[in-house]
Amino acid sequence: MTDDAPSTDVIQGTMDMLILKALSLEPMHGFGIARRIEQTSRGVFKVNPGSLLIAFQRLERDGLVDAAWQQTESGRRAKVYSLTRGGRKRLDDETAQWTRRAAAVARLLKADA
Amino acid sequence: MIAFWRHLTHGLRVLTRRAAADRDIDEEMRHWIDEAAAQHVARGLTPAAARRAAMAEIGPPTLVRERVRDHGWEQWVASWLQDLRLAGRTLRQTPLFTTIVILVVALGSGAVTTVFSAMNAILLRPLPGIADPATLIAIQPARRDGGTAEQIGWPRFLHLRDHARRVDGLAAWGRVPLTISDGAGGTSVLGSLVTANYFDVLGVVPLRGRFFTAEENRTPSTHPVLVVSHAFWLTHLGGDPRAVGRPISVNGHPFTLIGVAPPAFRGLYTGLVFDAWAPLMMQPQLRPRANMQHGSWLWGFARLAPGASALSAEAELSALAETYSRSIGEAETPDTQSRIRVTPLTGLPGGKTTTAAFLGVMLGAAALVLLIAGVNVAAMLSGRYVSRGRDLAVRAALGAGRLRLMRQLITEVLVLFVLGAFGGFAVASAATAALERLPLPASIPVTIEISPDVRVLAFAVGLSLVAGLVFGLVPVLQGVRRDITDRLKAESAGAGRRHSRLGRALVAGQLALSLVLLVAAGLFVRAVDRGARVDPGFERDGVLATTIEAEAWGYDAAASAAFYAALRERMTAVPGVTAVSYATRVPLMFGSSVDTITFGTTTRDAHYTGVDEGYFDVLRLPIQRGRRIDRSDVEAAPRVAVVNETLARLLAPGGDVIGRTFRFRDADTTVIGIARDAKYASLDETTPPFFYVPLAQMRDSRRTLLVRGPAATVAPAIAAAVQARDPRLPAPAVSVLAEDTRSALVPQRAAAIVTGGLGVTGLLLAALGLYGTVSASVARRTREIGVRLALGANRGTVLRTVVGEGARLAIAGIVAGLGLAALAMPLLRQWLFGVDPRDPVTYLALAMTLAAVAVSASYLPARRAAATDPLRALRTD
Repeated sequence: MTDDAPSTDVIQGTMDMLILKALSLEPMHGFGIARRIEQTSRGVFKVNPGSLLIAFQRLERDGLVDAAWQQTESGRRAKVYSLTRGGRKRLDDETAQWTRRAAAVARLLKADA
Repeated sequence: MIAFWRHLTHGLRVLTRRAAADRDIDEEMRHWIDEAAAQHVARGLTPAAARRAAMAEIGPPTLVRERVRDHGWEQWVASWLQDLRLAGRTLRQTPLFTTIVILVVALGSGAVTTVFSAMNAILLRPLPGIADPATLIAIQPARRDGGTAEQIGWPRFLHLRDHARRVDGLAAWGRVPLTISDGAGGTSVLGSLVTANYFDVLGVVPLRGRFFTAEENRTPSTHPVLVVSHAFWLTHLGGDPRAVGRPISVNGHPFTLIGVAPPAFRGLYTGLVFDAWAPLMMQPQLRPRANMQHGSWLWGFARLAPGASALSAEAELSALAETYSRSIGEAETPDTQSRIRVTPLTGLPGGKTTTAAFLGVMLGAAALVLLIAGVNVAAMLSGRYVSRGRDLAVRAALGAGRLRLMRQLITEVLVLFVLGAFGGFAVASAATAALERLPLPASIPVTIEISPDVRVLAFAVGLSLVAGLVFGLVPVLQGVRRDITDRLKAESAGAGRRHSRLGRALVAGQLALSLVLLVAAGLFVRAVDRGARVDPGFERDGVLATTIEAEAWGYDAAASAAFYAALRERMTAVPGVTAVSYATRVPLMFGSSVDTITFGTTTRDAHYTGVDEGYFDVLRLPIQRGRRIDRSDVEAAPRVAVVNETLARLLAPGGDVIGRTFRFRDADTTVIGIARDAKYASLDETTPPFFYVPLAQMRDSRRTLLVRGPAATVAPAIAAAVQARDPRLPAPAVSVLAEDTRSALVPQRAAAIVTGGLGVTGLLLAALGLYGTVSASVARRTREIGVRLALGANRGTVLRTVVGEGARLAIAGIVAGLGLAALAMPLLRQWLFGVDPRDPVTYLALAMTLAAVAVSASYLPARRAAATDPLRALRTD
């Protein structure tokens, strides 16, 4: 929202990758992850909270992230997610694949121009 | 795999602790909102505005919760349970519809379940009362060319038992008729002579007392001990626990009762019920005329050793059998039984394929009834969705997804079908109980146990679920497909038109299928009739028969002979008796014996029976040439035979057969006469080569007394003669030959009953369908009919129009049904005694019946239509 360009919804199918990437630095709670994605994408990606919560559910069931309840300073319970070994491997695979595809698309676009 | 478990456990936790799962989601959302609000505050919003903005971003909490929750598989279960509850509620609102559908499904599923129950009992169910039937094998001697014999000889069996490694115990049993007496009168039962390990190998444990020890089966005639069945113990020993250990007389010999078998165990031969078991080594007492070393009289079986396969056991046993054959110097001919065939121990030796084919045809017939029932239900559902159209449309308009709506309707259908399945199971239980009571000749100790079990119930439910999906899908799709706005707008006269066209086709189809069943039943009825009238080649009427095994009473050869002679004399003296004889086998009552004969260079199988003087007079079986077997044909006399015309033609094509010889059981046998061809084993057989030999020259101890005379005096006279001889002897079962030989028609009679029952059920269902369709059409056209009547149409015309509508459907159904029957009925040819599978009389008669039923079914709504009050009809709606 700091950029002039309009923010877009996260590209279909990349949500998982973005979450895993965000978690690869440190365990985080849901809102933190959303903020991280928005910040690092410089506001290009706007994350819908509902979709994010669903994605967490899916990733947790697939064993890619772990979830634990922690006490916050305000005395509330917060669900903190962290990457599992499987999650890290998935992130590496997806990153490699994404890079390959993005490079290919970039080459195609350049060739056309 | 681990992933699967994680999904499963997560889902189960959500399902079982739904509130906690919801709380987790809520809490996570609240935390999110707190954080987001804090960020907004940091950017300068007031706390209240920040909170509102954060909440707006995340959306309505219930929706988020739903979406998060919706994600897992457990959501399906939860909403399905919801569907189930809703289905129950809707179905309860229309009790009449629900009851009728369940009844119709129950009839259809009951038909199939009944036949499956019989298949299950006869073909699939392992022998009752034995443990781990999967590793039990039957052992049958086999020839090199693949032909197998049911039974094995004792020496060959011993060789296998002593050397086989891939089986854990090889056991054998032989059949023996026993007369058991506990003080007073005796009871005839079927007994087994068994090896000591018989019960151990089967894994049967005694209910009372014990079974046999190895010691009891080591030396001949030394251990007179007996085990009886639970049923025998209850009915003849009063279920007295102290009976075990008591002396008991078996075939006149003192035995000791040592044990009682568990209730389920009735021996190892499907259809035969065994009531007593004795050690094989007691054979010299119990079967004194037979030599246990000779003949193949044992049924062998074994438990596979751990890790051994049936195939490897077969290879090993075959190798052993081959060694044995060589060791006794058996000539290497194609007939030598030098191999062993291993099959699962089913208690169903031979004849399995015929039985399976017959039951298969019956299953097909039952499937037709299920088809009719399914089609009927489909039509009813279709009608229901048309009339519930508004309700469905409203629900769709309120946001129920089409898929969800469909799932809901399918659930409703499945509930109906599963309830129907339980009804079907009840129908099958009743029907099998009725079939079990189908009268069989009293002289045969056969029980048919075809009552359904858990497997049958599972089958019924599974079948109904499949049927529900198949027959429910089309109406459900139709129900949800039609355009919602259309639906809300108009429930006009034309709305049900497409439905009704489908409905009509379905009704005609039902009529056609029920006609096929009725035609099958009709053909079987004609076959029974034809079979009863087949000329067996002799006169059945006025002959009484009773099978007596004097040996089973403990008589030796001389005593038996004396008894038979005395009995014959007494019978001859009975007023009204014109002829008396004995035979080893009676025609048309479970077959004849078969053996090979050799003449010239030809060796072939021929059937034979041993007969005594007077046999041809008792049966009034004409002798075409030569003489009959008479008093002169004693044991020491030259071997002679009377042959039938078929065998005569084979022995002396074109020449005179009298005086020719053939070899039978290593002896030259001279033909002394020709008897007319007759029926021997069954009424529809092609006449086999057959010959009669003097009873005196046969070793068989079993004799059937045949008396031509009035039943009223002869039957008591037989009983009196036996009792006079020895009051402890059981009264023999006397049967009337004409009745007993009808047992040859049991399959046809059963088939006629089953297909007839199915056909009538099908016809009722189809008539119901027709009635429903015509009624619905009349209801839809009430206004039109009213207008016509108001314009002066004749009530008779209205009546005719409506009945005509039903008649058109009936004609379509009849034409299709006759065509299908003409295609399908030739499959039944082998059971029809030569009745033409396209017999025009049967077809015509049943088509007329169907037409009459169809007209009656449409007459009722027609009369209602004709009685329409024009004024009222025009006022409605």
